[in-house]
Amino acid sequence: MDVVSFLLPLGYAAIIVLVTWAIARVASTLVGRILRQSRPLLAAQIRRSVWLLIWLIGLVTAIEEVGVPSDILLLIVALFGVGVILTIREALENAGAKYFADVFIPFKVGDSIRVQGHSGKVIEINSMSTILLGDDNTLVSVPNTVLMREAVVNTTPQAWKEVIIPITIRNDIDLPAFESAVLKSVNKLKPSLDSRFPPVMTMRSKGPQSTELSLSIMVSRPEQRDAITAEVNKRVAELVESMSKAKKQGNAADRSPAGPA
Amino acid sequence: MDPLRLCVNTQTPLVRFRETGTAKKKKAPPETTNLSDLTDGVDYTFSPGGVTRMVFPLVRRMIREGTLRDAHWVALNPTGPDTVRAGGLTLHSVHLPKDRLKSYGIVKETLWGAAHRTVQDTPPDEDVFWTDDFSEYAYYNRLTAEVIGELDQRYDFDLFYIHDFQQLPMGQMLGPLKPKIYRWHIPFEQSAIPDHWKELLTTYFDSYDVIVVSAGRYREALKSFGYSGKVRKIYPYVDPRAYSRPPRRERAAVRRRLGLREDDDVVLVVARMDPMKGQDRAIRAFAGLASRYPRLRLVLVGNGSFSSSKGGLGLSKGSRWREELEGLARRLSVGNRVVFAGHVPQRELDALYETCRFTVLPSIEEGFGLVVVEGWLHSKAALVTERAGIAELVAEGKNGLLIDPDRPEEMGEAMRLLLDDEERARQIGGRGYETSKQCSLDAGVRAETEMITHLVGR
Repeated sequence: MDVVSFLLPLGYAAIIVLVTWAIARVASTLVGRILRQSRPLLAAQIRRSVWLLIWLIGLVTAIEEVGVPSDILLLIVALFGVGVILTIREALENAGAKYFADVFIPFKVGDSIRVQGHSGKVIEINSMSTILLGDDNTLVSVPNTVLMREAVVNTTPQAWKEVIIPITIRNDIDLPAFESAVLKSVNKLKPSLDSRFPPVMTMRSKGPQSTELSLSIMVSRPEQRDAITAEVNKRVAELVESMSKAKKQGNAADRSPAGPA
Repeated sequence: MDPLRLCVNTQTPLVRFRETGTAKKKKAPPETTNLSDLTDGVDYTFSPGGVTRMVFPLVRRMIREGTLRDAHWVALNPTGPDTVRAGGLTLHSVHLPKDRLKSYGIVKETLWGAAHRTVQDTPPDEDVFWTDDFSEYAYYNRLTAEVIGELDQRYDFDLFYIHDFQQLPMGQMLGPLKPKIYRWHIPFEQSAIPDHWKELLTTYFDSYDVIVVSAGRYREALKSFGYSGKVRKIYPYVDPRAYSRPPRRERAAVRRRLGLREDDDVVLVVARMDPMKGQDRAIRAFAGLASRYPRLRLVLVGNGSFSSSKGGLGLSKGSRWREELEGLARRLSVGNRVVFAGHVPQRELDALYETCRFTVLPSIEEGFGLVVVEGWLHSKAALVTERAGIAELVAEGKNGLLIDPDRPEEMGEAMRLLLDDEERARQIGGRGYETSKQCSLDAGVRAETEMITHLVGR
């Protein structure tokens, strides 16, 4: 009997964790779909926040279920958090600034910028600082907090035109075919894009499950930037969806007895 | 320096495989075919041109000298086995699906035509980079990048060496983490590149650590174009030991096979069948001399490129051009004095070099012109188009004669000069032999090793 009363809450907690996992996944996908026409980095941040919030609620509920008072737990976490913040305040400021910089600061690796009297080409953006290669071959490290406080001038020619669309695809999608399909689709938007800059896809990283890509396009008129970004996002999302679906159907056909040998 | 692991990438494969050869039957992975188990001429043939003459000897020499530990060579090879071992070198085939080959071919011909100024009927505002065909060109390059990426996971290369304009996007696709050299083999003149191509080409160029070109003027043009990275000029090179002087008996046999009499004077053009190679100019110049020199024969060696071959892209450019040239020769009443030799094995080519009075490179545009060096290695004088990279090595009247391919009468005059003054032709050929040392494998390996050592930094 004691064993049952001990195991039962654990079982409930496990179920809560499972349900939380499912809700977080569905919510994240839904938010992604709803926001697929908005700015990609902003959409990614909102998805991440929703995911985090659901997990936080789920975990606190699960912990309460096993009998640990959540208020004490939250107090301990809060005190620990305050301690960490006081200890590594500057690092956190920089990391936080990097987090916001991803969304709001209009430059990327490869751009030339000027900030606080320093100028150079951005060769790295890490969680603490942004590294510039100066015109005289010197390296300048600019703390990310400075980028949030100070005016940053992006001196890259045509910088205002460039829109970078981050894309994630599963590794079972044929990357060359996907890239080819994306280019074909985006090429149709040529009248709204700067014809001197055809779209270029770049692979940012390849993990065991998925590949991070970015698609660079150049809009021809600044007022169309958001509309074009939304349209490209929509087209890319549709392609990811249709190729994923085709892949799943292909796999299902391969598994079925009537499928190809 | 520790021996390096190199990955070479070209469009043209080192060897072309016959559809019916043993290699095809052995295609199923993971079995790796060994080139030594196959028969040259039956299962495969070495691709003519730079990959066999230049890149292959370079890689072999660098492995032998310990600069390289081993090398992997990735190339488009629709009919090739997945992997072929060739000594310290492993060849990997990229299999581009047939339905995508055509579009890829269209883009590459457009880029090539622009660089060689042979595209005359393309509207100036047509932008190949926005077409569906270009998406297939990107497909081919991404497919190649995927193959190289997988190999890199397995072998952890120290360096990528990308050749040919067809592979230009590779630098951007392979990412910034490892050193990448790009060799631009074809002509590069800023005025030949449409303005609206500049931005994308610059993006691609900028993704390499070093760009190697074949002549000083291409280096200057690349800088004027806006490329601010490192550019090296390394003259293309051949291994002089790969060339021989066949005895009289063999030379006579080749003459007989091609229908040439013992006392015929031969003017030799060695070039693949392509309008850019300007064989039509040579035929026109030759026709102007034909009545004055009744024993003079023009021999055209070469057939289509990898792109024209059935095992390659299957474009019919080579055979179309040959038909045009045959028609031209007939119209100019020299049909029976122009010999179309097609592709000939190296030994026969050596015999023809030995047999000829001089060689002609009549190209409209030419990245470099290694065939001039081949003629020089046989101490033969050369008429060289002023639009070839090698023209900067020709001192007028000393080691060759420069010609304008658009002026056949001047070309004919230069031919007459060498035909009438045999001693002068011999002296020019002798000095050409000395010049050829600048384009020897030894010189090339020195320059390439120095560049690679500097780039990899160990």
